[in-house]
Order: sequence, then C-alpha cells, then structure tokens
Amino acid sequence: MKLKIDGKETQVQPGTSILGAAQAMGVLIPRYCYHPSLSVAGNCRICLVEIEGAPKLVTACSTPCAEGMSVLTTSEKVRAARRDVLEFLLINHPLDCPICDQAGECGLQDYYMEHGLHKSRFPQADKVRRHKRRDVGKYLVLDNERCILCTRCVRFCEEVTKTGELCVRERGDRSYIDLKPGSRLDNDYSLNIADICPVGAFTSADFRFKKRVWFLERTASVCAGCATGCPIEVHHRDNIVYRLMPRPEEGFPAWLCDEGRMTCKSLRAPGRPAAAFCEEGNLKPAAGLRFAASRLGKLKPEQVAIFGSPFMSLEDNLALAELAAAIGTKNFCLHFSTEPGIKDGILKNTDHSPNSRGLALIHAVYGGYTREQFSERLASGEVRFVLGRNEEVKAALAAAKTDIPSSVFSFSDEPAPGRACVLPAASHFESDCLFINYAGRLRRARAAVKAPEGVLPVWQAADRIASMLGAPIRLETRAAVLERLKAKIPELAAAPLSDDKAEFELK
Amino acid sequence: MVARMIKTKKVDNRPLTLLERLYFTEIAAGMLVTLKHFFRNLFKPSNIVTVNYPEDRIPLPGNARLRTRHRLKLRADGTPKCVACYMCQTACPAYCIDITAGEYSDGNPVEKYPVGFDIDLSRCVMCGMCVEACPEDAIAMDTGEIPGGALTRDEMFMTKRDLLRNLPGEPSLLGASNRLHNEWDGTRVKKK
Ligand code: SF4
Ligand code: SF4
Ligand code: SF4
Ligand code: SF4
Ligand code: FES
Repeated sequence: MKLKIDGKETQVQPGTSILGAAQAMGVLIPRYCYHPSLSVAGNCRICLVEIEGAPKLVTACSTPCAEGMSVLTTSEKVRAARRDVLEFLLINHPLDCPICDQAGECGLQDYYMEHGLHKSRFPQADKVRRHKRRDVGKYLVLDNERCILCTRCVRFCEEVTKTGELCVRERGDRSYIDLKPGSRLDNDYSLNIADICPVGAFTSADFRFKKRVWFLERTASVCAGCATGCPIEVHHRDNIVYRLMPRPEEGFPAWLCDEGRMTCKSLRAPGRPAAAFCEEGNLKPAAGLRFAASRLGKLKPEQVAIFGSPFMSLEDNLALAELAAAIGTKNFCLHFSTEPGIKDGILKNTDHSPNSRGLALIHAVYGGYTREQFSERLASGEVRFVLGRNEEVKAALAAAKTDIPSSVFSFSDEPAPGRACVLPAASHFESDCLFINYAGRLRRARAAVKAPEGVLPVWQAADRIASMLGAPIRLETRAAVLERLKAKIPELAAAPLSDDKAEFELK
Repeated sequence: MVARMIKTKKVDNRPLTLLERLYFTEIAAGMLVTLKHFFRNLFKPSNIVTVNYPEDRIPLPGNARLRTRHRLKLRADGTPKCVACYMCQTACPAYCIDITAGEYSDGNPVEKYPVGFDIDLSRCVMCGMCVEACPEDAIAMDTGEIPGGALTRDEMFMTKRDLLRNLPGEPSLLGASNRLHNEWDGTRVKKK
C-alpha cells in the first residue's frame, strides 16, 4: 500500500497506523497515550495530523494508512493543533518540575519546548488540585495532579500483567487515576508503570530524589536476576548505580521485573564486604587470596573441593574449572539442574540463575560431580576445604551437614558460613562478563562502575590463586579467558566473544 | 551616547630628555613622592587610603549588579526555600555546587528539600548563573560579603548552615513551591 507522508512516498503493510508508517520513515509524531506494546487508546490527541482532503485532523496513532493518502505532519494546522492540545493538557498541570523526578525525561517538558512555548493563560490559583504523593504500592508514588490521563498505566495493568489494579474515576476535569477498591500496585512488574507514564505522575519510590536524570551515565548491560537475562541499561554516576532501566533489544519486551531492577541494591548493601574476612580479621582482598592459596597449598589435591555456580559468569566458571584441573582434584562440581521457563508469560523465569546454560556447557567439557554426588563427597569427610560462591557453599555445607573450612566468593551482603574466609568479588555491574540465558542467547554484562579497590572478578581471583599455588592457569587477562572459552568449549568455538556488539545464539 | 561615556586620554610619547635618561633625578623625584606619603601617613594615619584586608573591609555600595557571597533564602517558618531541584548545580560552570536531596517527613507539600547544600567558593567564579537558574528564588548573591582572603581552603567551603540566611525585609514569598508551602503553613497555624 502506497501513501505520501510530508510529500515523500512510502510503502506499508495494510493496517499500519499513520504513526507507525511515519516512524518507519524517521518522522517522529508526538505521542502520549500511544505505546508500541499496549493497545491503542487515542485519547491524548497530541498526535493529530492532517490528511489532504479530509475535513478534520485525525489521530495518527489510531488511523490506519489508506491507499494514496497524503499526510502532512508539520503543516501550520497541525502545529497549531499540537500547541492547543498541549495547552489543554497543561491547564491543570502543577508547576512541579523543580521537585518532579520526571523532569529531564518528561513528555510535557519535551513537547512544550518543541511545539508549545506558549504563555500560560491560566492562573496558578485556579488549577484543579488533586491528591499528591500517594503511596500506591511498594515501589511507586502517584501524583494525581501531574497525570494527563493517557491511561497507559491502566492499560499496562489490564493487558500486560492482567492484574487490573488501576482505573479512571469520575468524568471530565474531575477524572483521576485510582486504585480499584482493596487493591495495591504490587504486581511483579509495577515499576514499568513509572517508565511508561509519560509524565511524572507515577514515579519510582526507590529512585525518588536520588539523582536528576540528566546527570546519569548509561551503560548497556544485562540483568542477572534470572535465566531470562533481560537487556538493561545501568544508570550510574560517580561510581554509584542509581537504577536499572529496560533497553530495547530484538526478542525482548520493553519491560523489566521489579525484582530484576532491585538487583543493583546488593552492590551498596551495607554488609557487602569490600575486604577479605578471615580468622585473622580483615585482610586486603589480595591478602585474602594469598590466605586462601596457603590453605589450599597445605592440603592434598583430593582434600580440596571446588564449586562452580550458575550465578557466576562463563569466565568465572571456566577459571574455577581450570583451577580444579591445575590443582588436580576430582572434587569439583559444575553441575546445576533446573527447569527454566517463563511461567508468568511475561519475563520472570522459573530458573533464578542467569547462567545455568553456560555452566552446563562447561560441565559438559570439564565433567565433575553432579550436585548430589558433590554433596556426598562433602559429607564423606575426606574433603577438608571448599572454594566457591558464598550462597551455594553455605547451602551445600548445610545440606551435607558438615562444617568444613571454606573460602567463599561474596557478591552481596549475604552472611558467610561459620568457618569461611570471605573473599569479596566483583559483580557483573563491576566487570565485563558473559552469561548464556535459558534460550541459549549470549548475554553481555558490561562494567558500569568500578569494584572497590583490589576486588577482582572471580576468574581473576582464581588465576591469582593458581599462580600462588605454583600451578598457573594463565588466565591473566579477559582476552585470554575468552580465547580459552573458545578453545575449550566446542559450542562457543565460533562465537564472537570478544566482539562487544555481536549477537550469538547456541544451536 | 556611548562615545560620550568613553573618556580618551592622549599619551605623549616624546623621547626622553638627557636629564631623564640619566635616571638620577627621576629616582630622586620618585623617592620624594614615597617619602611624602611616608611622613604624611606617619603623622596623620587617618588619611591612609588602603585597608588591612581581609581584617578590615570597606563597606560595599548597595548595587543590583553587584554579586557577592551566596546565601539560601528562608521561608517564614525557617525552612529553606530551596527545593533541591539541582538547576543551579546544573548551570554552574565551575561545578562547585553539591546538593543532596531529601524528602520532608512532616507532610510538607513541597516534598523535596536540600539535606545538604555545599558551595565551594574557592572554585566559584562568581558568575551568578546559579541565581539566574533558580526557579524558586531560593539562592541569592546579595550578602555584601566578598569571598576570599581566607587562610585555608576549608574556610571557603560553604555548607547549608553557612548559607541559610534571610536579609531584613524577608522572607520573600516568590516561587511556585513556596506558594504551596505557604498555604500549608497557614493551615498548620490555624490548627494550632
Ligand atoms: S510531569 Fe513533567 S511537566 Fe509535570 S511537573 Fe513533572 S517534569 Fe514538570
Ligand atoms: S498516571 Fe501516567 S500513565 Fe497513568 S494515565 Fe496518568 S499520565 Fe498516563
Ligand atoms: S556564581 Fe557561578 S560559579 Fe559560583 S556557584 Fe554560582 S553558578 Fe557556580
Ligand atoms: S536552583 Fe534554587 S531551588 Fe534549585 S537547587 Fe538551586 S537553590 Fe535550590
Ligand atoms: S498518541 Fe494518538 S491520541 Fe494519544
């Protein structure tokens, strides 16, 4: 189907909206209520465009293209309409920008600067006043005065989470967004509402007043909250991660779950170790590694156990597997059994680990015990020392009902098992690393902030320990690790691991 | 108009005479001027034109174009008018403002306030952009104090406590958030 937009010919599938056709050509028509992942509501009227020969302006988001149509998006009539719609929306809008967290990424501010720039004809004292700073859910704050009633939030709860907590009450200039009686906005995806709300009506309670958005730096990364591995953008400044936002990527919806967004909290949790903690007390991280190596060095290979984890990256698990091989112990486990799948139909995976597919690849090459066998080994009394990730070593020791000494890598404030030496480790926010999600897609986490001084990612720590033991595994640099991954794991032999942009999927 | 405002002075660049080229007479003439001032100051110290800055200062003329040390204005109830919007910090070309925002816990409808507000005057270039940028009429450079003449860097570091101050005739009632606050304050007073 052919049509003209601003005089330029274009061809679209039947059923495409004018807004969609224009966007494909790079013409951005303003929108508030339209969202590509939600149904079309057509209530905000900011997207009005002119069709030559049509008596009235039409809404571009809800009008399908027709053969031979000629659309004007910048005519005088259209620009006047946008200005007027904007003035309408701002009649009862409070002068809140200085205290509004949306400022800097606000649809009203942006379009006012682009299309409005009118003087307000409505005195402040006459504005309709509504409920402000409402506590509507665990993660959200609602300000009804700032709402422009685009109903994106209502549609999100109806169509995406299908929980339907929100509704519009009353009519005309009295209408406002409200919770349905007895409900609270506490579905697993509630923070997406703060993202899709084009103004500052719904804002995040967690990010509230923490930082102005224009100060934030952005790093493209992935979420490690579960096996789905959603694309995220880490927003950070001065080495502090402030929030995680969804990042558009082919094959993923535009959402993130609340739990995933909160994974950055562990970075600055008060109990997260920045120094090694052993019987001797606090040690510098490097000294902690030396301590672990001296422990290991005193034992026979078969007395040492090494524990890989689906919560650690490909690099980390490879280095631990190599370390086990270099020491010459048979007591290592790179196994994890799981049933991944997206049960809620949106994002959240039943497998909470970001890298079980990756671990399985390494397990297939390096072998080692299964979890059950490993637990038996720990219980057998032969093993005298365990090295692994804090949470899992703790669980394994508890399951095996033993209390053997260990050195555990800690990424969070989780307390360590009784006789453990805690080694602080750099998380996926602090080092570049790779995961493989449940569907076999390669996921790249990129370092957004710096780890505390001396704190290394696990693969580097394993390399240091191996060197101190006199059994070097030669994984000093990340390039070396990636080379080794390609050389050892046949499935990854052709993978573009070091090309930061390239996509890869397991067959 | 402009031409009349600019005074010009012709400089006579004639070559030096022999006497001047010998320097001795000129040095003696210079010494004479110095001595004259020395004896005059010695016998009549009130005539001295310089002051012992920074201990002594000459009061500045009140002038709208004068930019002096910053202050943060207060509302009637003593809370800062500043709402921690970060406009001044964003506008500051010297990156010398550092704000930490927080939320009122007493139900104040303005919601946001500066928990911390620091200005490092040793980096400030006194440009006045911060005052210009403020949407709440909360920051001003009208204290009449010229920053400087400090013995340590710390003395030049202004915290919120150093900055909060009203001048006589205030508080001013300007600013959108301030209006909200005043309404709220009114209802509070009535309840009491
Ligand atoms: S929603 Fe936008 S226009 Fe309204 S107060 Fe917030 S930043 Fe300003
Ligand atoms: S709260 Fe936000 S998303 Fe919901 S109707 Fe109002 S402006 Fe739209
Ligand atoms: S006067 Fe200029 S340099 Fe000084 S604090 Fe204000 S904006 Fe910054
Ligand atoms: S611009 Fe004004 S209100 Fe905003 S932070 Fe600075 S002093 Fe406070
Ligand atoms: S975007 Fe078309 S009416 Fe709202």
